[in-house]
Amino acid sequence: MSEKIIEIKSIAKKFGLFEAVKDVSFHVNQGDVYGFLGPNGAGKSTTIRCMLSLIKPDSGTIKIFGKSIFTDRNEILSRTGSIIEKPDFYKYLSAYKNLEIFSRLSRVSVGKKEIYKMLDFVGLGGREQDKFSSFSHGMKQRLGIAQTLLHNPDLIVLDEPTTGLDPQGIIDIRNLILRLKNEQHKTVILSSHNLAEIEIICNRMVIINKGVSVVEGDVKALMNNEDLVVRLEVSDKDKSKALIMSQYPNIQITDINETSIELPMEKSKISELNKDLVNAGIGIFSIEAKRKLEDYFIKMVNA
Amino acid sequence: MIFIKSIYNEVIKIALKPRSYLGIAAITVLVGVILFALKSDGMSIISFVTSSFEQTLSFEGNVLNGNLVAFIILQMLIVQIPLLIALVTGDLVSGEAAMGTIRMLLTQPISRTQLLLSKFIAGGIYTLIVIVWLGFMSVIMGKLLFGSGDLMVLNSDGLVILQEADVNWRYLGGFLVAFLALFTVSSLSICLSCFTDNSIGPIVTTMSIILLFTIIGTLDVHVFDSVRPFLLTTHMASWRSFFEDPLPIQDIKNSILILVIHNVLLISISIYVFNKKDITA
Repeated sequence: MSEKIIEIKSIAKKFGLFEAVKDVSFHVNQGDVYGFLGPNGAGKSTTIRCMLSLIKPDSGTIKIFGKSIFTDRNEILSRTGSIIEKPDFYKYLSAYKNLEIFSRLSRVSVGKKEIYKMLDFVGLGGREQDKFSSFSHGMKQRLGIAQTLLHNPDLIVLDEPTTGLDPQGIIDIRNLILRLKNEQHKTVILSSHNLAEIEIICNRMVIINKGVSVVEGDVKALMNNEDLVVRLEVSDKDKSKALIMSQYPNIQITDINETSIELPMEKSKISELNKDLVNAGIGIFSIEAKRKLEDYFIKMVNA
Repeated sequence: MIFIKSIYNEVIKIALKPRSYLGIAAITVLVGVILFALKSDGMSIISFVTSSFEQTLSFEGNVLNGNLVAFIILQMLIVQIPLLIALVTGDLVSGEAAMGTIRMLLTQPISRTQLLLSKFIAGGIYTLIVIVWLGFMSVIMGKLLFGSGDLMVLNSDGLVILQEADVNWRYLGGFLVAFLALFTVSSLSICLSCFTDNSIGPIVTTMSIILLFTIIGTLDVHVFDSVRPFLLTTHMASWRSFFEDPLPIQDIKNSILILVIHNVLLISISIYVFNKKDITA
């Protein structure tokens, strides 16, 4: 069994009368790329800020690397790199100077060579002496990633790291996270609104809604527990519906248009259905299995 | 070690922020203007002051000398310097919140107390640089342009004439007390800076407090008699005590004690607030 890197139990936080977080619990194992999902205002940022000691929760426990964030804060943070919301640096300083300033506080000796190497790694080679104020949004995000990785942390917390990036930037960050996981075996927490991104990158996830952790577990396992939504485009819709109803009497079929229908179905039965329709002389133009994290997410959030 | 690095970081940030040079530039321009005015028409100003004594005293030698020029400059500028200090120090915590860098700083493995203390120390170093520059521009430049001589000071008790050889240590003492007073202004603005995420608020509030205390200190109303001795602004002027003869040692000690108490209180409040603060910016 993997070692638990993060263990959060029943944290709650109120701001005045507003309960930002009511009851959030989850754990992250070593080597996980852990998805942190939830709609706006769900309590994701507050939870992440509690984890990093930016906000003190009213109740609950937070253990990282087996130690409490309340008593061993500095030791935990020396092994953690993070971007919270957006990376903000000193506008009047260069990329190099900004990294130099934060590296001094990292408890790890980081020299000029390492800073240049890291800037090169995130694609900012040649822009070392340019001021942060002159950087595009994508470049700022890259600099944030560089700051996060500079002291070679064991745990990386990325809160919405691809927000505002162009498609190439999103792919670059995604590949970078996968490299960190596969090559350097880092543990990564990724909070994102891009659910497809979570589905592609993360192996485990938690969904938070209205300040409560709704579901937690292995991404693939959670997905497979649910029926897929299958969309069929066929030559004879009525005949297809009759055939399906005869074999699956309780199934709910939805008409999409003159040639398409949708129905819930287990993944293993799709090929069998395909065979039955073909054998009945029905032409199949397309079969699309639509089960995606978005559907699961919406179902959980609306539950 | 990390505390020393943090102080270094804070000093570097102040040094590389363009705003920090406004204070130095303002002192240079203001002192330059005063020096120019005194050089071109200083004697008429001196005659205006000494005319009431000319029936009983005769003034010989270089009355308008560097020592007197420095004293005039200090008296004129010491009111403006707190603004120049607060302009930089009032931004040290709230500016980080406004920029968003506070999140990055507080997720580093340094305690909030150490981080805040490093800002107080950096603010103190900046204050010291401003005071040293003011000293250079007033005392050194004054002596270079006007020469040296006995210092003639007009106090509420009358005219005090201090021998040339007796002046330098008084300036040193005066500047040290002025530094302590300005460091208290710096502490006040950093303390206010801990309460807000707005970078302008603490600067304006610091100046408003100094203005309010100055008014309370100046108003000859008995109701303020009991608070006046404890006001920061009352002791901001205590550098002048070094130019009295005999030296009012007890008054100076009292001022130093009250300023130190101010600093201890302001720093303690700041540490408490900063450690309790939720970073939501």
